[in-house]
Amino acid sequence: MMGLLSHAVVDAPLFADAVGRFFQPDTLARILIEGLGKAAIYFIIAIGLTLVFGLMGILNFAHGAFAMVGAYLGGILMVVALSSTSGAFTRIVFFIVVVAVIFALMTAVGSALEIGLVRPIYDRTPMYQILLTFGVGLILEELARIIASSQGIQPEPTWTAARDTIPGFLSAPSEIIQGLFGTNIRGFYMFAIAAGILLAGAVWLFLNRTLYGLYIRAGSEDPEMVEALGVDVRKAFTVVFGLGTGLAAVGGVFLMWDPNWGPSVMLNLDVLLYAFVVVVIGGLGSFKGTLIAAVIVGIADSFTTWLFNTGIVAFSGLPEVTIFLLLVIALIVRPQGLYGVEEVGGH
Amino acid sequence: MSLLELEDVHTYYGESHILQGVDMTVEEGSVVALIGRNGVGKTTTLRTVLQLTPPREGTVTYRGEDVTGEPTHEVADRGIGWVPEDRRMFGYLTVEENLRVSVGPDQDFEAVRDDMFDLFPDLERFREKEARNLSGGQQQMLAIARGMVGDNDLLLVDEPSEGLAPLIVEQVVEALREASAETTMVLVEQNFPLAMDLADQFYLLDHGTVVESGSTEGVTAEDEMIRRYLSA
Repeated sequence: MMGLLSHAVVDAPLFADAVGRFFQPDTLARILIEGLGKAAIYFIIAIGLTLVFGLMGILNFAHGAFAMVGAYLGGILMVVALSSTSGAFTRIVFFIVVVAVIFALMTAVGSALEIGLVRPIYDRTPMYQILLTFGVGLILEELARIIASSQGIQPEPTWTAARDTIPGFLSAPSEIIQGLFGTNIRGFYMFAIAAGILLAGAVWLFLNRTLYGLYIRAGSEDPEMVEALGVDVRKAFTVVFGLGTGLAAVGGVFLMWDPNWGPSVMLNLDVLLYAFVVVVIGGLGSFKGTLIAAVIVGIADSFTTWLFNTGIVAFSGLPEVTIFLLLVIALIVRPQGLYGVEEVGGH
Repeated sequence: MSLLELEDVHTYYGESHILQGVDMTVEEGSVVALIGRNGVGKTTTLRTVLQLTPPREGTVTYRGEDVTGEPTHEVADRGIGWVPEDRRMFGYLTVEENLRVSVGPDQDFEAVRDDMFDLFPDLERFREKEARNLSGGQQQMLAIARGMVGDNDLLLVDEPSEGLAPLIVEQVVEALREASAETTMVLVEQNFPLAMDLADQFYLLDHGTVVESGSTEGVTAEDEMIRRYLSA
């Protein structure tokens, strides 16, 4: 045990040096901005999951697979449409178009899945929903594996051709951040923060400023009552499952460019795992909880990554361990999550 | 033509046979009280009208049209409002949003809402407050208002006085009296004098069947029939 610790934690003088460096403005800026960038990604991959659970009470175990499909479809569209001479502006514009197309396509796919597969088992126990969605996830993962292998994209861990469609100014350190804080942070994280804010704003507006959003918020509390007030809750279920699927796929498109992820069949389980961590900490079904939990997890990820990078902790798995430790603490201290209610959804 | 008719209605929860051949007629403009001991099927009758618990046998007719087996939202859309037991507010929605859920997209919400605020002035004061932060009496007012909006011609009201202080019950009764001037009402109420005070007609249920019905005029808690079926 002592031997393990002596390998994991470095000498005291280095520790003191690291603490001193932590309070430097460039370090704090780095942890904060990179943390917010990671938080944006966590939010994007988790928001669909929480919406589906909030209204429908369904734990969608196919959520990660939908993100994986989004990453691969996004990659295909980007690789086919762009050439090595495509400029940064073209790449960004095309990325936005791809996000819109994949969102629309996968929302339609999700709606069809809800009508064809999920709706017939509403009256059964949650175990049926878990098994069904998990099964859909495994089928999609195997399909992706087969297609990727046959096309020569895999077995490399991630599909680098798709990841390399990112414009140079997003994969390189941001000059703006460098100028302001004197620290190197990938431009992608700034892009992710902007996208996360836009997406959070769009989802918030949908939930709080549209009639359908109102039905969804009411339905997440008492779907039977909403039905008795003349609203077709089943149709709302279809819309929400479709939106959840579309948002998961959009998350996948972003992961395609993320230096820490990239298109891979592993996204199925990885995204599912991290999305669950975020929504459980935030409170299943809570928009605000998901947003705040994503920020907590993102900052924790960024901080522990910095600890590893500076050498204060020599254990490379520290960020993952910390994130799951946060989950354990949340489950012990506040099992319903930061903003969760004790019971939500259901039929 | 009656507004609502139930004919030989049999409703089950799983294998439990709750309504065992209920016949009931509600005329437009009337207030009908459903009375009986706990567990005789009063709430189930309201749920059956809305098809929340559809009957296995028998028919439910609204404005002459058979609505048996129709999806609940379509039945509600025909103009039936529900004020459920325990009120079932959307606690995290504001007073105004609770009302908004009931009003269809093609209706003028502002006009409908203002009508309700005229009827229940307290609600206007708390329009931006989340329903979970209202008192029991205010929640009951909101539940009644929510049931009335949306061009509803029939209001199904379940145990409106339950769990409320006597002073608040008086306010709720007044609200129901005002509501009854605008809409037909079926009222489930354990408080017998209150039910008789509000209703024109009554149906007395026992073991899932109607054992007595008629005008409420002259009916008192001392009547032999009432004592037999309502005493604990």
